[in-house]
Amino acid sequence: MSQRSERRGIHVDQSELLCKKGCGYYGNAAWQGLCSKCWREEYQRARQKQIQEDWELAEKLQREEDAAYASSHGSQSQPSLTAFSKFEEKKTNEKTRKVTTVKKFFSPSSRSTTKKEKERDEEREKERERERGEKVQGRRESHGETLLRDLKGIFTHSWEIGSPTEESHEAKSHSPSFVHQSSVETDQVSREFVDFLKSLKPGREIHKQSRAFVESMGNKKDLGADELSECVQDFYQNMSDRLLTHFKGSSEKVERVMDQVEKYIMTRLYKSVFCPETTDDEKKDLTTQHRIRALHWVTIQMLCVPVDEEIPEAADSVVKAITDIIEMDSKRVPRDKLACITSCSKHIFNAIKVTKKEPASADDFLPTLIYIVLKANPPRLQSNIQYITRFCNPSRLMSGEDGYYFTNLCCAVAFIEKLDAHSLNLSVEDFERHMCGGGGGDVSPRRRSESLSPWPLELLSALQERQQQVLEEARDLQAELQRWQEGVAREVQDILDKYPLEIKRHAAHAIDSENDENDRLPPPLQPQVFAG
Amino acid sequence: MTAMRVDAKVVMLGKESVGKTSLVERYVHHRFLVGPYQNTIGAAFVAKSINVGDKVITLGIWDTAGSERYEAMSRIYYRGARAAIVCYDLTDNSSFQRARFWVKELQTFEEHCKIYLCGTKNDLVEGDRSARQVDFHDVQDFVEEIGAQHIETSSKTGNNVDALFMKVAEDFSNSAFELLPEEKGVNLDPKKNSYLYTCCHH
Repeated sequence: MSQRSERRGIHVDQSELLCKKGCGYYGNAAWQGLCSKCWREEYQRARQKQIQEDWELAEKLQREEDAAYASSHGSQSQPSLTAFSKFEEKKTNEKTRKVTTVKKFFSPSSRSTTKKEKERDEEREKERERERGEKVQGRRESHGETLLRDLKGIFTHSWEIGSPTEESHEAKSHSPSFVHQSSVETDQVSREFVDFLKSLKPGREIHKQSRAFVESMGNKKDLGADELSECVQDFYQNMSDRLLTHFKGSSEKVERVMDQVEKYIMTRLYKSVFCPETTDDEKKDLTTQHRIRALHWVTIQMLCVPVDEEIPEAADSVVKAITDIIEMDSKRVPRDKLACITSCSKHIFNAIKVTKKEPASADDFLPTLIYIVLKANPPRLQSNIQYITRFCNPSRLMSGEDGYYFTNLCCAVAFIEKLDAHSLNLSVEDFERHMCGGGGGDVSPRRRSESLSPWPLELLSALQERQQQVLEEARDLQAELQRWQEGVAREVQDILDKYPLEIKRHAAHAIDSENDENDRLPPPLQPQVFAG
Repeated sequence: MTAMRVDAKVVMLGKESVGKTSLVERYVHHRFLVGPYQNTIGAAFVAKSINVGDKVITLGIWDTAGSERYEAMSRIYYRGARAAIVCYDLTDNSSFQRARFWVKELQTFEEHCKIYLCGTKNDLVEGDRSARQVDFHDVQDFVEEIGAQHIETSSKTGNNVDALFMKVAEDFSNSAFELLPEEKGVNLDPKKNSYLYTCCHH
């Protein structure tokens, strides 16, 4: 960027070489004419300011949204809301619940609560099922790992009848542990990274640095998300500066290397820095998800989306766009997540182009993206946006094409968060009625899937059936466990009754007297005399 | 993924249907499409390389949605922009009032962003002077007051379109280089005896 071009003009007199702050040290063009110390201060201040601004903006939006909620939901509560709050409660209490549910099966005292638990489970189950229905559709193309995770999700999250070891594993991966990450994927990425670096002169150095950095991050797990982000960004900055100056790489080449470095580092750090416990990202995720659910009644006409889903190709593009935006959550590297957003955007453009027979402008694109986000309700949307903002290479985010689409996604989310009657060209009364679910039968889930979701009802009902089946089997299992426990107790008691404990005195005997294989042993060696 | 590197982010701001997209379309593809959806032609993001002197500057041109319902989000769009082309329709006074709104926003929140006020649809007022609703001199006064640039363009005839973007690129190029002015100073070329003025020497 600007720094690169600056570097070319190296006709300066000595006074120009000094730090622009006038501290007496020499400045550097790469630091906008400042010395390293002043630059760092300057940079830090700018960053701090930006973070502050972002934070304020987010807070403002949040407040407005909360206010909107308080007014629209004060009087009436919606069935889906309660279900959702259960879901939320479940997520935050995950760890404590894990312990109790294991105990639940074995201790009779907690059985009084079982019914309540079961109801709650059922409700959560429905919630999950809906989500999963979307995921099944969305992730058809995604790789086995995510599928596996989903499956594990089904069993550990909603049922929690997995073995204790599995649960502790799950719990561990939630805490910021840097050690617990040697999955197939990370190994694969490491291998690719090493292979890639083999062709480069400073490859060994880069690898060493990256590894050291990942390890050093392991000691910083107590830091807040912003500090972590700063560490990673500083590392990117230092690394690319070094590559540019020490190894004299061309900027394209450096960019390629930096992409690989980002991939390597972020695959390893992902679990500990994605949606960390120190932030309220998870809460925001839930709020957004909740909000999108509450807006299920928004139609293509209200948003003025220039897409006609009657046209097969346009409808196809819409589905693909939804798939991409949902798939974003399954990627680990910020750049891959960005690629999902870009791909989603390309499909949106296609859908608009097919409908209007003309390439699309931002006036078409943004509403369509909002519509896609509403329809997809992508999992952990806020966490993903935060993660990309914190850990993506900034040059990519600020000005390039990916950055453009990402910015649009941020806008779409901001729009959804503060959407009101005015922004949909509705009267305030109509909007309130929709939000409170007062629009007659509009809010029934069946109607919802007809109007908004293109996924076949059969799929959902099949899932529901399977869910029911799992539910019943689990109940059977629980009953069986109960019976088994009682059976064992009874047997033990029987045996105790039959053979009352009595202590006999044993006569002293040889240590190997009970070995019945003594016969088979070879005879003891006989002393022999050798004439010598 | 696009391999195109971008040097400067340029945002297009302006009310709906003032012709932001047509402007970009004209500039990048040298065409002006006539049709019922004139206001929505073109692509939302374009990267365009321009030769400025002996340098190549790549501008990333960001189209933005002009509708009022997205007004609150415009700040997210122009964050980090090096230049903003604020468009208004010469035949529509309300669009100029909106342009003033963006200028104010930009001055408050993005002080490093250079502002270019661009009156569009110049061809319409050339043919019929009574169609003009925004006076050239009024805008000129406003622009001088805020230290911005001003130009009137027509995407239909192509008038001033290239000049506008050229100006943006030149200004960017100059601002990027003003830290190291080329005219004066010592050449650090190793063949010259000024070689010793390096950072490590002190």
